[in-house]
Amino acid sequence: MLALGITGAVVAVAAGLGALWRVTSGRRRRGDGERFAPGELPGLDDLAPGATLVQFSTELCAICPATRRYLEQVAAERGGVRHHEIDLTHNPQLAQRLRILQTPTVFVLDPAGRLTARFGGAPRRAELADALDQLVPQPEWNL
Amino acid sequence: MTQPVPTPTPIDSRGPRFGAGVTFVLALAALFFGLLLPLEPTLLLRIASPEFLLLLVVWIAFTIGTFFGIGANPWALVFRHWVRPRLSKPAVTEDPRPPHFALGVGFALSTIGLVLHVVGVPYGLIVASAAIVIASFLNAFVGYCLGCQVFLLLVRVGAIRPKSPIAG
Repeated sequence: MLALGITGAVVAVAAGLGALWRVTSGRRRRGDGERFAPGELPGLDDLAPGATLVQFSTELCAICPATRRYLEQVAAERGGVRHHEIDLTHNPQLAQRLRILQTPTVFVLDPAGRLTARFGGAPRRAELADALDQLVPQPEWNL
Repeated sequence: MTQPVPTPTPIDSRGPRFGAGVTFVLALAALFFGLLLPLEPTLLLRIASPEFLLLLVVWIAFTIGTFFGIGANPWALVFRHWVRPRLSKPAVTEDPRPPHFALGVGFALSTIGLVLHVVGVPYGLIVASAAIVIASFLNAFVGYCLGCQVFLLLVRVGAIRPKSPIAG
């Protein structure tokens, strides 16, 4: 029956989108090396000596608060790492310029303000650790 | 609103997901009947059709949730009174504003679907129902709030200009 087939196909599309989101969300993407001067991003006047995690959120983002807690914890555990959150709700121009399509989006900036990695969605633990390892080496004896 | 308001009390995040599950079942049935039955020739027959009535139930719940608060949504009431007492304490709570906004997106979609169906536009109800099926599926079974993500895109294209801050 055609109606049943199309109804099933719509559910299949939904399941496919869900799977796609599960697979791609929070993956590390290489930064394009764009450099942000101090003060260029709202509220970010000075950068951390190791890495700065810039989280872009909105007031209506369901997983942003959990991501904030997680990134603050990462920053507390690693020396030289800082977390900074920017609310895009009232700053659509910034979202436009940085090509941000979803929240949270997380930028990893090195001490010079260069974008070394970006994550769409809540960053995966291992891939974030990987991005930070390159900027803030963990001591050998810690492994 | 100009004065800052404190963040609203967090809610059990399983509530909106339960509501999305109910919405999914109803919108799926509306989609199925919309595809199965030819578009009825008269206004009265279109309003009495199962696809219209099913989407109407979805619309009523979206409307109550959007305008009277997420806690007033009928599915939220069912969850609070009959489902939640059988569950363990919530592991995760969330800000009610994102799911409340998503209800508004659902309200807009279902309104469009119902209006197009009433005036006799073919596939209007079907497309709207399909969109609601996809969004509620993702919300209920994947934990991905599509309606919430639409917010940033709407702000970006300037379709909405939020006042600061947004009330829950």
